[in-house]
Amino acid sequence: MFRYFHNHFQALIRAIIRIKSNWISSIIMIAVIGITLCLPATGFLLVKNASQLSSKIEYDAQISVFLSKDISDDQIEFIGSTLKQSNLVKNLHFEPKLKAWEKLQTKLKLNSLDAGISENPLPDAFFVTLNSLDTAVIESLHDDIQNLEGVNEVIIDSGWIKKLRSILYLIKVALFVLATLLAIVLIVVIGNTIRLQTLTYQNEIELSRLIGATDSFIQRPFIYTGIFYGLGGSLVNAGLLTVIIEIFNRIAYKFEHILGGSIVLYNLSLNEYLLLAALSMIIGLFASYYAASQSLKKIEKNF
Amino acid sequence: MIKFSNIFKSFSPANEVLQNISFEINSGELIFVTGSSGAGKSTLIKLISALEKPTSGEIIFEDQNLSDLSNIDMPYLRRKFGMIFQDHKLLFDRNCFENVALPLSINDTTSVDINRRVRAALNKVGLLDKEKVMPITLSGGEQQRLAIARAIVSRPSILIADEPTGNLDKKYADDIMNIFYSFQQVGVTVIISSHEAPQSPIKFKELHLINGELGNKDVPLLS
Repeated sequence: MFRYFHNHFQALIRAIIRIKSNWISSIIMIAVIGITLCLPATGFLLVKNASQLSSKIEYDAQISVFLSKDISDDQIEFIGSTLKQSNLVKNLHFEPKLKAWEKLQTKLKLNSLDAGISENPLPDAFFVTLNSLDTAVIESLHDDIQNLEGVNEVIIDSGWIKKLRSILYLIKVALFVLATLLAIVLIVVIGNTIRLQTLTYQNEIELSRLIGATDSFIQRPFIYTGIFYGLGGSLVNAGLLTVIIEIFNRIAYKFEHILGGSIVLYNLSLNEYLLLAALSMIIGLFASYYAASQSLKKIEKNF
Repeated sequence: MIKFSNIFKSFSPANEVLQNISFEINSGELIFVTGSSGAGKSTLIKLISALEKPTSGEIIFEDQNLSDLSNIDMPYLRRKFGMIFQDHKLLFDRNCFENVALPLSINDTTSVDINRRVRAALNKVGLLDKEKVMPITLSGGEQQRLAIARAIVSRPSILIADEPTGNLDKKYADDIMNIFYSFQQVGVTVIISSHEAPQSPIKFKELHLINGELGNKDVPLLS
């Protein structure tokens, strides 16, 4: 057991010595990995922030209750009081059809006679703000209101949140595909670098074989180098993301009065960074293991 | 210790490098593998040190048939040999100490032991004052001695040298040979390939190769 750890410790030391001895190319390699990781990581960061934003907006979800055209004022009052009594209703707003029609006309700069519309096409409507998020509760409320006499149509306005969520989901899937492709790119890039390194150390590899080193002994420092690249890359990525977020937040702060509210991007959590580091180290391990074992097969023993 | 029986070795069907080689090497012997260029000395050395496998025939090393050994076991077998190569095979990006320490790091030796044994090996070949020097700055003879230090640092029971004095002038060559003799004196089996057997003060066995066949009547061949 001690031997096993001693072996690995030695390989680790040799990997560090090798990285130090060609530190320029190591830094470039680590930067490449960091930037490559940064692409999907930024995407996930944006999606994560957007999802958080969408879950905040959800509290303002509304139900629009459109009434029949031939409804009497008594019925309107009855529906209004019924809605008020419900403990799901946070806020209630009545929009008479005349007012709605005026609003629409001013908004569209439209004259009813010019447009050939002889009568108000709009119904009276209640706009209800809810204090529940539970779809089942909202659905049953929807049905209850629908069954009231004089109610023509009930529309749950939280639909757009569903749309936003499905769009975010789609973006997530696209990012996942992108991340997979970039992972393959990283495997190729790290693998190729490790392969070139095995060529640089060809003399040492040949000699080690001749004097009785096992292949796994020869491979180990290369594998550690690959893992180091992954670790270094994930650190670079964390630094880049933090800088990007800082720049974005500062610019967003400047435009706060134009945008009419503050937009703040939140950084990934420590756990997410640890996961990213683990993933890139696994990519480094896999790539270097494959590249080192392949080129060891190619390096012939000759003396 | 090492027993070759009817060994054939060819790298292509038309080209038999070694033919019907049979001999036995006992522990503690001094062996010279001689012959002109292309006679198969290097190939025989490679077969003895298990770097190549014979096309046919049987090699027994310490009661073990080498053809039974798997590729995984090969590295552990090679650690029993101290190898000195024709071109030294020194690593020029490491200093003398690190070059000599290489076999020990493969062997899982602790760093305290490494320090002690590397210095002992360098002392033996007279290079103790050059442990921090890069091998590129050493003379040919010194490089050869450094290679010997690397071969003996893991205290092998067999020392195998492929043309160790090929590129050296007589004075250096004698120095090198005396180092080998001193190891044979303390019980190490020493196998040296060379153009011709030197005037040795010590009793030795000669394996003389002529066109891939053993042709020396002094050698007790196996029938």
